[in-house]
Amino acid sequence: MKRLLGVALGILTAIGGFLDIGDLVTNAVVGSRFGLSLAWVVAVGVVGICLFAQMSGRVAAVSGRATFEIIRERLGPRAAGANLTASFLINLLTLTAEIGGIALALQLASSVEPRLWIPVAALAVWLVVWRAKFSIMENVTGLLGLTLVVFAVALFLLHPPWGELATQALQPTVPSQEGHASYWYYAIALFGAAMTPYEVFFFSSGAIEERWTVKDIGQSRLNVLVGFPFGGVLSVAIAACAAVVLLPRHVEVSSLSQIVLPVALAGGKLALAVVIVGIVAATMGAALETSLSSGYTLAQFFGWSWGKFRRPAQAARFHLTMIVGIVVATGVLMTSVDPIKVTEFSVVFSAVALPLTYLPILLVANDPEYMGEHVNGRATNAVALVYLVVILAASLAAIPLMIVTGAGS
Amino acid sequence: MILGDLLDAPVHDGAGRPLGFVVDVRLVLDGPVTGLLAAPRVHALLVSPRTGTSFLGYERTDVRSPALLARFLRWRHRGTFLVDWSDVAVATGDAVTLVDGYRRWSPAYPGRDRRRP
Amino acid sequence: MSPRLRRSARPFPDDEALPEAPRPAGLVLDARLHLLDRQTLDVDGRPVATVDDLELGAPGSTSLSGDDTVLVAALLSGPVLATRVFGGRPPSSRLHRIDWRHVTDVGTTVRLGVHGEELDVLWVERWVRDHVIGRIPGGRHDPG
Repeated sequence: MKRLLGVALGILTAIGGFLDIGDLVTNAVVGSRFGLSLAWVVAVGVVGICLFAQMSGRVAAVSGRATFEIIRERLGPRAAGANLTASFLINLLTLTAEIGGIALALQLASSVEPRLWIPVAALAVWLVVWRAKFSIMENVTGLLGLTLVVFAVALFLLHPPWGELATQALQPTVPSQEGHASYWYYAIALFGAAMTPYEVFFFSSGAIEERWTVKDIGQSRLNVLVGFPFGGVLSVAIAACAAVVLLPRHVEVSSLSQIVLPVALAGGKLALAVVIVGIVAATMGAALETSLSSGYTLAQFFGWSWGKFRRPAQAARFHLTMIVGIVVATGVLMTSVDPIKVTEFSVVFSAVALPLTYLPILLVANDPEYMGEHVNGRATNAVALVYLVVILAASLAAIPLMIVTGAGS
Repeated sequence: MILGDLLDAPVHDGAGRPLGFVVDVRLVLDGPVTGLLAAPRVHALLVSPRTGTSFLGYERTDVRSPALLARFLRWRHRGTFLVDWSDVAVATGDAVTLVDGYRRWSPAYPGRDRRRP
Repeated sequence: MSPRLRRSARPFPDDEALPEAPRPAGLVLDARLHLLDRQTLDVDGRPVATVDDLELGAPGSTSLSGDDTVLVAALLSGPVLATRVFGGRPPSSRLHRIDWRHVTDVGTTVRLGVHGEELDVLWVERWVRDHVIGRIPGGRHDPG
């Protein structure tokens, strides 16, 4: 019974932890403009993140080392340095977006201006990073984030034209009022939102935090292969809600209140309260993960002591990095920059940085010195190579498309 | 001298002909034991026609995956050879000169002997 | 472009099959492949520093001869990020030494037999601990 609960907890936490502000905003924007004709991108992204998260978790469980440490050791300082710079900056951008997302959700709940919530949100994020146990942090935010299933519930309550939605998803075409360039730009943005680079570094460092061994590979595989696809389904539900409510009315998504409008329409005040709890939990969880990722990548690159399992005094530079990161993110947000806009940029730049972060993981997962007999099988390598090509294509096309479409407008 | 000075230094034979660059130094732990492990002794130099990605080591081991990448990197560093330290006349940070009649060996890494010295 | 010999200047045929060298008695390690950039851990398993370089022979020597037996005297750690990316090296005074006699094992990490507290290379970590992190409430307590 206890084992079953443990397995369930792992899966539920993976589902609840999958969504962040990037998924929320990008899926809602896409749904309101393209309907479900980009749903296939979510599927492609989910398979990709399952593949690479699984690889990096296996690397950590077998070798006892986090993926980024091995990247530095096997690929040398130049490649690892490029990787670090890209990851760290994207991380900081994503952290800014997530803390902004917490503030926006709290504004929805209280009608208090987000600028007043930002320092509160940042302080809360730091306190959890400072004092809370790793597993408790993951479980609480993951389980509370599960309340975002209210998007799927709302979709049912809205009685959407299921046949039409299915056609849009399974026979994707570019809607008449949008251009092909915008279609592919948002495809890349959605891809970047699903395959968040920080996720794999966080996943492998988290495996070290929780002291995984080879025996835990099975459980982690289950969490990823069941949890992440369910998370993907929730993403599509968000897009479908936007497609059903916002698309016919030509509403442009530019604030959180528009993203939750379908839920409020379907389920009233109660549903709205539930979805706000879910958004706060999901963005808080993601803010914690991105702050920890910035600490992990910097500390692992320079060889510093790291880890939440150590008291802060024994991982001083690691904690200092995270404090600085949170302070910088807060500073940027206090300039009244729109967190939704920051989110839109962060997902596109995530897509640009993907090859730098994913190719090394593939090399490391094939290295017998670290992996022993648990190196990648031929099937895994074949699929991973295909994904590498896709990732490279998305990364190269992102900036040109951003310029051509004026960041999607 | 430090290792960084020696790595990527150009290698010449006695007549001044360029042979490549030092890409790695092969150490053997058979020196005097001062702590727990024997001190590493410089045993040989690995010389390659190019520097660059040789630290990945694909030209020295038979790791074959990921398949395309391994084959490409092995091809890139074809022509890498091993030269004994006793065949080195003088080594400075600017260049390494070999004695006349030096011998070239295969660069293959002999693998880890699990027994500790 | 990293330095390389031009195709026409390569002295030996590419597809030559060279004989395997006689295997020496003792653990064989390739310095760049197995030691450089590796993590060092102290006796408690706590990260100390990355191996940024190795001291070969006597400190301060500028040339070595094949007639001499050259030993690795120490692991070196220091501010090498910019120099490893762009070239050059920091002066020896800026590189911290970890004597080889402290090394107890070389695997995917290099394990030392001493506590991190005794090593100079961790001075920045101790400074941040004493002056920043240690001063924030809760910094010296275990999490949870």
